[in-house]
Amino acid sequence: MPLEQKLKYEAERDVKFANWVTRETGGENLRHCIQCGVCSATCPLSLYMDYTPRRLINLAREGFKKEVLSSLTIWLCASCYACRVECPKKIQVTDIMYLLKRRAIQEGVYPRHFPIPVLAKEFGRMIFLFGRVNETLLVIDLFLRTNWFRFLGMTRLGMNLMRTGRMSFIPEQIKRKRELRKILAALDAEEQKESAL
Amino acid sequence: MAEQKEHQNGIPRIGFYICHCGSNIASIIDVEDVRKYVATLPGVVVSRDYKYMCSDPGQELIAQDIREHKLERLVVSACSPNLHEETFRNAAAKGGLNSFYFQMVNIREHASWVHEDKAAATRKAKDLARAAVYRVRFHQALEKRKVPVDPNVLVVGGGIAGIHAALTLANAGKKVTLVEREATIGGHMALFDKTFPTMDCAACILTPKMSAVKSHPNITLWTYSEVEKVEGYVGNYKVSVKRKPRYVNEDLCVGCMACIDACVFKEPKFPDKFNQGLGKRKPVYIDFPQATPKVVLIDPATCIQMKTGKCKKSCADACDRKAFDFNQQPELKEIQVGTIVLATGFKTYDAKRDALYGYGRYPGVFTALEIERLVNASGPTLGDVVLRDGRHPKAVGIIHCVGSRDEKTNKWCSRVCCMYSLKLAHLIKEHSGAEVYNFYIDMRTPGKGYEEFYDKLLAEGVHFIRGRVAEVTDWAMTPEEQGKLVLRVEDTLAGFVRRIPVDMVVLATGMEAQADAGEVRHKFNIGCGSEGFFQERHPKLAPVNTFTDGIFIAGACQGPRDIPDTVAQAGAAAAEALVLIDAGHVELEPNTAHVVEEECCGCKSCVPLCPYSAITLDEAKKKAVINEVLCKGCGTCVAACPSGSIRQNLFEDDEIFSEIEGVLAQ
Repeated sequence: MPLEQKLKYEAERDVKFANWVTRETGGENLRHCIQCGVCSATCPLSLYMDYTPRRLINLAREGFKKEVLSSLTIWLCASCYACRVECPKKIQVTDIMYLLKRRAIQEGVYPRHFPIPVLAKEFGRMIFLFGRVNETLLVIDLFLRTNWFRFLGMTRLGMNLMRTGRMSFIPEQIKRKRELRKILAALDAEEQKESAL
Repeated sequence: MAEQKEHQNGIPRIGFYICHCGSNIASIIDVEDVRKYVATLPGVVVSRDYKYMCSDPGQELIAQDIREHKLERLVVSACSPNLHEETFRNAAAKGGLNSFYFQMVNIREHASWVHEDKAAATRKAKDLARAAVYRVRFHQALEKRKVPVDPNVLVVGGGIAGIHAALTLANAGKKVTLVEREATIGGHMALFDKTFPTMDCAACILTPKMSAVKSHPNITLWTYSEVEKVEGYVGNYKVSVKRKPRYVNEDLCVGCMACIDACVFKEPKFPDKFNQGLGKRKPVYIDFPQATPKVVLIDPATCIQMKTGKCKKSCADACDRKAFDFNQQPELKEIQVGTIVLATGFKTYDAKRDALYGYGRYPGVFTALEIERLVNASGPTLGDVVLRDGRHPKAVGIIHCVGSRDEKTNKWCSRVCCMYSLKLAHLIKEHSGAEVYNFYIDMRTPGKGYEEFYDKLLAEGVHFIRGRVAEVTDWAMTPEEQGKLVLRVEDTLAGFVRRIPVDMVVLATGMEAQADAGEVRHKFNIGCGSEGFFQERHPKLAPVNTFTDGIFIAGACQGPRDIPDTVAQAGAAAAEALVLIDAGHVELEPNTAHVVEEECCGCKSCVPLCPYSAITLDEAKKKAVINEVLCKGCGTCVAACPSGSIRQNLFEDDEIFSEIEGVLAQ
């Protein structure tokens, strides 16, 4: 196993990133965190996380951008809001997870073969293309990008679903896709501007 | 349950009572067995056990038995006499018996709480009860002594605790003498800029109280003075106070400070103690503009006239009130007081002891008290936060728990450092705009508005890093660390070790007992804990009393505490003193020694031994005489008398020998 330096220099901190998180909607209360850890303790998924939510929040407000954006934590969050309910300082932990997910996708630092970010990204792409999500295409896309081996095992189930009319290859579309794309593009631009700050 | 019988040939009729103390005693000692056993002893006519002897029905039981069974002596086996001796003495009196025909046996602290073997503990309880039953036969009827309480009070220490206690007592109409070692009152609080968590300015709330002390008709203020000697006892203390020479007549000086301008040293040259050495002062100086009393003084170690006698004395020439007196001598004053409030305060931990933090080695390392002066608008930099080389810091690290919570130095938590570190973090950020890091082990903010203050600091974007800093070093490992002080710390919440370069390091030093606390303790004959702070009589129920009656403690001399707690405690100490004063007298134990004149040979062995100077020799009769008022009943003279002619109430030979006989009998 190669040895890796664990010590952190102050230069590795990205103050801009820390400021960005606290400025974003949902991140306002981040600095009030007293690191009690109740978020991690209530989280049903923290047992699989590389950084517990408490630790992720600490890293985020100190500006350890690389660690935060490449963590599995943000992708494991199931948005159950248990942490948000329990937090004594009313920190919007789940919203912060969303913020960080978006940023990770934007910066392309999400784990490539981990299905959740891929799903999130493909979901968004499909909305952009059709205005609606087509399960068949989404699932095929997801499996081919992450684990195409598994896809082969799933073909039979897929055939059955298609035969009974539960799935279709023909994507549903909305009427004025152009307008939706305009809205999405505008939101994207806004986000880009904000994260550049 | 009880055994009763009729008695008896010449032996006084004794009543014996054993307490279960719930299960405290009864779970280890077979109280019924003890009761039955004691009933068989000579003289015992009533023997009872009861769930709680100290309860009202328990006491009533005793009083009733005394009347019904014509009891002449009383023995109670229960807890420590420290707790309930007075209770049972009163019960005896209620039944019409002299209070001192009573003996208490402690079978809780001395038996049930300290033993596990039930049979052995029961045996011990029987032995102790037997000793008391044997002893009590020889008890004599005694009366408590009443002595008047002098209404004057001495307050030692002119910090916020002493100031508040003195003002409270003076406002109640009592004459108070306030003695302060330094040239001005105000103590540590006078050094602070702001006070947490309200951030009101320390001087603005302190100086009105200081001038109230100065102008109060009931307060005599002696600064630059120290208590030399304390004699006497509760209600009647004689105190000698040494007034150190200022070389300026305090009554003449009005604090115009013309002398300071006129001093032959054109510029201040010597380290200013008040400003923690960050500023300079002249040999003739005043600590700060609101010093109380506003009187200058001369530092004989730096003054040319004092050192060589060959100065122009331009200071004295500049004084149009002729207040200078270079030949002033220390003056010894004696006062009579009834009660004493000790408010001698604390000292801060010497940061040099933590060598790895580099205080005294790196100029960028400061103590918190130094920062208090730096952020203070009337401090040496007028509130500008600058490093010793004049640069403004861009990043500041505050290290908590320096000299606290450390088995190597001080084990205790100093209670105030978390809060003052938060305050300093806020002030430094406000004054310099620097990035501020707090390194803490636990954040301790218990107090009204304290947690809210912490929350405010979190919101201000001050960094909180949970971890004890291992080292402050100037050894740079990256270009960004060049020329900086680097703190190495495990960020235990982030889960890795970090190196954080800063320009200024603030050491949040803890609170310790004063360097001379031991000396003061001996002077006033009070106790202290292992950490050197003065010992209260009871940590919960008598927090301002000491084991010496009439001497009270207030403020940080008793343990680390902040201003609100100190003021509350000072008020409590004043109230306790008022209790004694307004009662007018105190009752003393009649355990004094007395000389049997016919047997005394006048050898004078006892005279120098008495620690309270209570014994004198009647020259005419050549016999020793003991002043009953001064005698504290220590028994030294009783043991030392070669002819055995000194006796002591409650400890007569008969009583002690029969007690020994009783404990050894089968």
